[in-house]
Amino acid sequence: MTITPLAPKWRSKLLAADALATGTQGLRGRKGRTFMTAIGIAIGIASMVAVIGISSSSKADLIAEIDKLGTNLLQIQPGNDLAGNTAKLPVEAPAMVRRIGPVEQASSVSRLNAGVQRNQYTDDSNGLDVYATEPHLFDTLDGQLDEGRFLDAQTATVPTVVLGSVAAERLGIDALVGGPVVSIAGRRFAVIGILEALPLNPDIDRAVLIGNTAAERYLGAEIVPTAIYLRTNPELVEDVRRILARTVKPADPNEVMVSRPSDALEARAQVDQNLQNLLLGLGAVALLVGGVGIANVMIISVLERRGEIGLRRALGAKRTHIATQFILESASLATLGGVIGTALGATVTVVYARQQDWLQPEDLPPESPRRSHSAPSPVSIPPPGPLASTLPTQYARADATCPRRTCPMSRRQDGLLPRCSGNGRGRAHGSPLACVIGSTTLFWIRAAMSLYA
Amino acid sequence: MANAEAPATAPSRAVLELTGVSKHYSGSPPVRALDDVTLSVDAGELVAIVGASGSGKSTLLNIIGTLDRPTEGQIAIEQTAVATLSDAGLAGLRSRRIGFVFQQFHLLEAATALDNVATGLIYQGIRRGRRRAMAKEALDRVGLGHRLDHKPPKLSGGERQRVAIARAIVGDPAIVLADEPTGNLDSRTSADIVDLLIRLNRDGSTIIIITHDQELAASLPRRVTLNDGRVVGDDTHGAHLPYQTPEPTGAAL
Repeated sequence: MTITPLAPKWRSKLLAADALATGTQGLRGRKGRTFMTAIGIAIGIASMVAVIGISSSSKADLIAEIDKLGTNLLQIQPGNDLAGNTAKLPVEAPAMVRRIGPVEQASSVSRLNAGVQRNQYTDDSNGLDVYATEPHLFDTLDGQLDEGRFLDAQTATVPTVVLGSVAAERLGIDALVGGPVVSIAGRRFAVIGILEALPLNPDIDRAVLIGNTAAERYLGAEIVPTAIYLRTNPELVEDVRRILARTVKPADPNEVMVSRPSDALEARAQVDQNLQNLLLGLGAVALLVGGVGIANVMIISVLERRGEIGLRRALGAKRTHIATQFILESASLATLGGVIGTALGATVTVVYARQQDWLQPEDLPPESPRRSHSAPSPVSIPPPGPLASTLPTQYARADATCPRRTCPMSRRQDGLLPRCSGNGRGRAHGSPLACVIGSTTLFWIRAAMSLYA
Repeated sequence: MANAEAPATAPSRAVLELTGVSKHYSGSPPVRALDDVTLSVDAGELVAIVGASGSGKSTLLNIIGTLDRPTEGQIAIEQTAVATLSDAGLAGLRSRRIGFVFQQFHLLEAATALDNVATGLIYQGIRRGRRRAMAKEALDRVGLGHRLDHKPPKLSGGERQRVAIARAIVGDPAIVLADEPTGNLDSRTSADIVDLLIRLNRDGSTIIIITHDQELAASLPRRVTLNDGRVVGDDTHGAHLPYQTPEPTGAAL
């Protein structure tokens, strides 16, 4: 008997198109099961997408509001001196601030030591302050008028006032009809305007504003700035912020407090983070359950298709061909579920956002760098199917390594799990526990990566 | 094909050679499913491997089909030692050189007859269009050219087995291995299937049929009888060549 030891060039190969067709054949053949399994994944992914989408849309809405107000507004206030007394800002501070290059506008207010009343017969000051200021404060704060007009070069010199929104409410003045007046230090001032609320400057809301000149002339006040508001070039906010204290009070920069009012609002946007993490965890559990569902179905599918696996082996499939088939199958399953789930989650997010009247992406200016945040973030969760498929694929491979059991010719149906006989080729299914632990670990790593990516 | 004039110079080119093949299954007690089997099958033969249940014929079939490896001994297919091949090499060998026919048919229920047969070529990396053309041709050969688009549930048992046979021969393998091909069929249909296998053999296919059916075996030119894992009989009537009528030998007498 002559035996050539060399293997001839007989090769088993599977075209990519055929691999794909084979991989989805099982799904096409069992539509009901495919649908139910995909729904499991879809619900998990939908809940995660919705949680992330809704919370980031809510955050984006808040940030968009802040963006509309502007993040380039800085506020300077006196701090405390070494003795612990309230320091004073130099009179020339507003002018010095204005000389900083990137500062676009700066206005100061001076809190006067005077109360404001509805008329001279009461001394209830309603917790309101009287501020002396300059007409361009209005532009610096980007204010809006509810009624009337703001101070201008003329009205800043005569006894007129503009009311902040809260001040107007407390004084019981909601319209200018009938020429309302207020009493400051026993002197009557005509109300010429009412401001709308300024979310970034609640202190102005609670103030009554008069012109600097009028304050000096009618109230004998000394104008010492108690707050300076300034708008800077948006690109250079931090740079300006860093030099402000030294500019305003070069000798004692630590007696100057500089703040950015929008920071407080931004902080609010971060508060929901904990709740979001919790919900995200729930979503992850749902996804895990979906993944386990796929793994289960694939195990069942491998077991009930041992005949097919044996047939394919007999037809010349390599072990990798069989493994590929089942990986493709579960990957398709997961992709299907993923697509449905993402669509579902995005829909929920959009519907919810519209219901809440949140700013929609199209409401924002196209150049807004934060625009992308407000869309429901389509979290690209790696399909857990390939992970879930690792497990049954191990079984499939185990089956494939053990043709004697799986070959349709051997009509043995003993045992549920494939057990290989002898010659050490049954290594793939040596430890199903390791499979479970391995694929679960992998799942969590991937899930964590996708969450923090 | 009737080259009966040259029996002496018959090119006895063995497509299958088993030398001292044994297969043991460990366990208690250990099973010697095959014990020192030596067997040679030439191209163009039609061989029945006969034996009662438990005689080791399924084990032998798995070893011939390279689905299992022997514990001892060697097996060569077309002069290639199977032991030298990796799993991928064996898969390649099966995809191109061995065709299987099963008792349970093992057709894909959701696929048409044509696609089922074409599946036989899928692991040769042949494109779909050509696969289907070849499958059609094979179905014509087994007499099912009119049933290309029927799915297995719509086919009778005999027709299903014909589809399975077409799938086995579509790639023109060196060996067709048929495991109880008539086991699930009634006697009339069985006769048709045997006739078909004999006809395919006459057209040049080397066919090995595993069966416990003595009557079926008796109608084939060569019978290898197994008992308790040993070859107890290798009985050839007629020439060593495919199912030829006894006349040439008779004339020689």
